[in-house]
Amino acid sequence: MNNLMEQKILDILRKLFESDSIDTSCSQTTCSKWDSMNHLNLILDLEDAFGVSFEPEEIWEIKSYDDIVRLLTKKGIPSA
Amino acid sequence: MFVFRNHTVERFFPKGYTFSGYDDISFIPQDAEGYVWFYQVPVKNDRKLLAEEVESYSGKVEYLLGRIDPSKAFVALTLVPVFEPVVSESDFQIAAAIAGFNLALYRLAQEHANLKVIDLRDFTSRYSAAELMDWKFYFISQMGLNPRLSGDFIHWWGKKMDSVALKRKKCIVLDLDNTLWGGVLGEDGLDGIKIGGDYPGKAFAFFQEALLELEKSGVILTVCSKNNEADVLEAWERVPSMILRKEHFAACRINWQDKAANIREMAQELNIGLDSMVFLDDNPSERELVSQFLPEVAVPAFPEHPYELPLFFQSLVDNYFQVYSVTEEDRKKTTQYQANAARAEAQKQFTDYASFLRSLQIHVTVSEADEVTIPRIAQMTQKTNQFNLTTRRYQDSDIRQFLQDGWRIWSVSVSDRFGDSGITGCALVHGTDIDSFLLSCRVLGKGIESLFLKTVLSVLKKDGCQTVTAHYVPTQKNAQVAEFYEKCGFSCVGESASGKDYVLQLAMADLAVEDFYQITIK
Repeated sequence: MNNLMEQKILDILRKLFESDSIDTSCSQTTCSKWDSMNHLNLILDLEDAFGVSFEPEEIWEIKSYDDIVRLLTKKGIPSA
Repeated sequence: MFVFRNHTVERFFPKGYTFSGYDDISFIPQDAEGYVWFYQVPVKNDRKLLAEEVESYSGKVEYLLGRIDPSKAFVALTLVPVFEPVVSESDFQIAAAIAGFNLALYRLAQEHANLKVIDLRDFTSRYSAAELMDWKFYFISQMGLNPRLSGDFIHWWGKKMDSVALKRKKCIVLDLDNTLWGGVLGEDGLDGIKIGGDYPGKAFAFFQEALLELEKSGVILTVCSKNNEADVLEAWERVPSMILRKEHFAACRINWQDKAANIREMAQELNIGLDSMVFLDDNPSERELVSQFLPEVAVPAFPEHPYELPLFFQSLVDNYFQVYSVTEEDRKKTTQYQANAARAEAQKQFTDYASFLRSLQIHVTVSEADEVTIPRIAQMTQKTNQFNLTTRRYQDSDIRQFLQDGWRIWSVSVSDRFGDSGITGCALVHGTDIDSFLLSCRVLGKGIESLFLKTVLSVLKKDGCQTVTAHYVPTQKNAQVAEFYEKCGFSCVGESASGKDYVLQLAMADLAVEDFYQITIK
């Protein structure tokens, strides 16, 4: 867990969902604070932090930490 | 605070605020600390419909004002058009509807002391049209304002709420020499002090007149000054150009004692809090003393030059004596538009919720699922969280399979005179068991939920069904429907951590619906 992108994502998730125990298993089904309103907040935080813009289809696709990593990698964000 | 809204605005308010459903005024929490009205102009291309919808808002505000505790604040934001495609230069109906609503707010504020109006233009005018909207977030989340402005908005809102929260001061404590007039009375004498006539007397006269206007509006004026009292009484009586005189001051301390002690005494005498007082004195060391000993008292810096008094007075009013500045300004404009507003108001009155619903001309269509609606039904089972009794998630292929297996599946679409919400709910019935029942929160608050269920039950009854079973499965998000089946007349026959089971004898069930819904069953 010493890679930059992943750490940044976790920081965002932990701050947004107000829990330090959030790890890479975080998803909409396991995290009760990940509701539709926070989903929107999450997208905005990610867009701002990584300087990217998600398409609506991608926004719907994001359901877990893994989805975020996958989409950011696809957008050319280096994981190291 | 509880926010009535018609768009997604959660991001724009601090933690602890709660929100109505979209354009839902049916639920008014009585335990809320206060209420906020924040409607935004809907995005609609049909200008006539849009104008009519906007015209309906003031009636809703009035309806809410009649149903909340009048001792609680109701803070309403004005409507500001964020998106205005001008099709025809001579088409002012939207602008007129918006202006009519804003005027109606100001008029209502004159009748309802608890209604505070905040002009949203004060915020939106800082941004360009392109900055105000982010269409991606409008289309995916119904956001009527760019979500990236939320941080600035919360900051702005906090300042506005401070001014609304009756932090208005009540009393000004005034020094005399070089504060209310130029010069020192004890040295310059009655003829030597500068009040009226040429500068600087002219500037002090302006300041006294301005303070007199404040006094007329209910602000208490007092004097705390180091002079011989007899000199001052004489000046008040005999200087012809003096504007503020003895009768304008509710309390006076004209002596050589320390001003902090004098002010504390006056606060007791007038029975007001020190935190409702503002102290004005040209002498920096007196100001320092008062702010040291009485930190609750507001002590603004006093201008060095008399010609700065008009601006100083303006800041005094802005900082301490203006509760919600724009309202006051706009009130003046009110008369000018009175005829206009009265006409608009006459159209908007409704006295109870039923007549409001009737006025909407709601048309509900309940249709059996077909190839066209299957994808939308599956999508709703996936995405609906709050008004969803069992939260079972299905794919298109599941729905097709259910239909082949003989399930009855309906979708509901709702339209009213302001527009068509499309398919916004569905019911999946397996034999005589209601497997799923859900509605988009967009249509809640219009009685659609029980209407839809009753319609489905009526169809089942007509087709020979006698008893129906149903279930509530709790999730983290669907607490609002925990009692839904009870409210619809079902009997709970089993309850456990995993939910509740219900049964309903259709012969005994009340399936009558209000006559103001137009219902089509396909």
